[in-house]
Amino acid sequence: MNRRRRRLASEAFGVKRRRAPGPAQADPLRAGAGSAREAVEALVRLFPRGLFEDALPPIALRSQVYSLLPDRTLADLQLKELQEQGEIRIIQLGFDLDAHGIVFTEDYRTRVLKACDGRPCAGVVQKFLASVLPACGDLSFQQDQMTQTYGFRDPEITHLVNAGVLTVRDAGSWWLAVPGAGRFIKFFVKGRQALLSMLRRAKYRELLLSELLGRRSPSAVRLGLAYHVHDLIGAQLVDCVPTSSGTLLRLPDT
Amino acid sequence: MSDLADNPKIPVGYLKAWQPGLITAVTPECMVYSSYSMLSGGSDGVIVLYDLENSSRQPYYTCKAVCSVGRSHPDVHKYSVETVQWYPHDTGMFTSSSFDKTLKVWDTNTLQAADVFNFEETVYSHHMSPAATKHCLIAVGTRGPKVQLCDLKSGSCSHILQGHRQEILAVSWSPRHDYILATASADSRVNLWDVRRASGCLLTLDQHNGKKSQAVESANTAHNGKVNGLCFTSDGLHLLTVGTDNRMRLWNSSNGENTLVNYGKVCNDSRKGLKFTVSCGCSSEFVFVPYGSTIAVYAVHSGEQLTMLKGHYKSVDCCVFQSNFQELYSGSRDCNILAWVPSLYEPIPDDDDEATTKSQLNPAFEDAWSSSDEEG
Repeated sequence: MNRRRRRLASEAFGVKRRRAPGPAQADPLRAGAGSAREAVEALVRLFPRGLFEDALPPIALRSQVYSLLPDRTLADLQLKELQEQGEIRIIQLGFDLDAHGIVFTEDYRTRVLKACDGRPCAGVVQKFLASVLPACGDLSFQQDQMTQTYGFRDPEITHLVNAGVLTVRDAGSWWLAVPGAGRFIKFFVKGRQALLSMLRRAKYRELLLSELLGRRSPSAVRLGLAYHVHDLIGAQLVDCVPTSSGTLLRLPDT
Repeated sequence: MSDLADNPKIPVGYLKAWQPGLITAVTPECMVYSSYSMLSGGSDGVIVLYDLENSSRQPYYTCKAVCSVGRSHPDVHKYSVETVQWYPHDTGMFTSSSFDKTLKVWDTNTLQAADVFNFEETVYSHHMSPAATKHCLIAVGTRGPKVQLCDLKSGSCSHILQGHRQEILAVSWSPRHDYILATASADSRVNLWDVRRASGCLLTLDQHNGKKSQAVESANTAHNGKVNGLCFTSDGLHLLTVGTDNRMRLWNSSNGENTLVNYGKVCNDSRKGLKFTVSCGCSSEFVFVPYGSTIAVYAVHSGEQLTMLKGHYKSVDCCVFQSNFQELYSGSRDCNILAWVPSLYEPIPDDDDEATTKSQLNPAFEDAWSSSDEEG
């Protein structure tokens, strides 16, 4: 009964009066997740494990989480909490400054151990996973941190780089990395470009989301259309326009 | 403003007021308001003064230009006027700075240039402290890396702040403290200065808040590109910056901490300053950022994009908020200045049974046609 009250001043600059939210939308991808954790779990299910023969932990992207949780500040805060609790790791993917991959720590740990099983660097990697990962939740590590705080010697750090667990960032600092993620990044960048070109070739540079998902996936898109669409929406590379036939994805004019 | 909202009988509902034809060949590059008058500076060096009061009580009104410093004025700027500002304490004086490497101080009553400061490089931005009573310093940001402080009383540059490495794209004094100045530069840094201190800046804003783990370069930068625009919130507690990395960041101005509010992609491809503005006096503040030919409105503290104000035909260059009328003025390349007024809705009746016979229409739009067929 008290729903109908005078609108707050925060709506004063809106041009149109907002409608009351209608029934649940028929759009497949736009039903939002409740929290960042659920969003990451849903996205991790979209990741094609078979493509990499289960050697890679399922990676979700931060932009995909923004697509499921429209309130970005809240999403950032919840992801930071999950990172501090040690449940997820954020990985710098390298092709874009803002592209952060999110992996569950457990998945990461099992895959990394499996990847370096039997190789000479196995011992060092296990030491790294046991001592550094739980202690330091950052994306990157500095030289003095590694040598003094955690007691790694230079040859050991070289082993870690060879194993793919660390990537060189600049002199004396390294990013945390997923071994074998190079293929994933290649597929991801190609898939993103392919999807954007699909939109560019469409009439008026726009497509209904349901139609886009129903189309045959082009050969360059190996990770799945839904995976890429979440990323495009969250990275604001396409505009989402709500229409009566569902969500419309439109390329911005610039 | 509050009694308009309480009393529903006054017709409200206008959204924007047109001012066609007033600005002839000028694109407003910058605008600033005083209580009832507005200054706008154009890309051909012309400065025009408008009277903002709406005495006609019509929903769509036109503000008249009171006077202007036209092309034929002997002291007119030779190139585009980048920033204009009223003297903070009254409208007897205003200052304007331009690409012709000068900052001119004008007397409003006689429209003569009272003083001219010359610089070696083009002037991108200047600002005089709105709250300061102990000094009359104008901070000037030019193409060189040094911020110059000009003193109005003595008529010369009093000192220089060194610390940036590239051109200074925006400067702004804090509305809270007399001596605190923020400067934004193309070297991706934003510095907070206390101008009384001889040695360097107080703080450099770091977008990662000191955690080097996420930064690609080790230097502490506010943005990953040039920092184009600066605006303090009206209480001076927070500072908003926009950069060419298409991000807008909200900082705590007392300790320089990035509050990590995420506004999403705030498109910014301006090569000089982006003049955006923050509302003043609203219950939750908004920030209005020009985006192409529209203005994007965000809530400052939550980061949510509320709406896009569409009305201009070409790209919007500047916007400014008037707290007395709670109006936003925006100037664009299509030579128009639009005034945006918040539209107030009629309160929805709480009780559904009560039949509402009161017309929802603005009486200006009501016609005298009778709907009844019987009336002869």
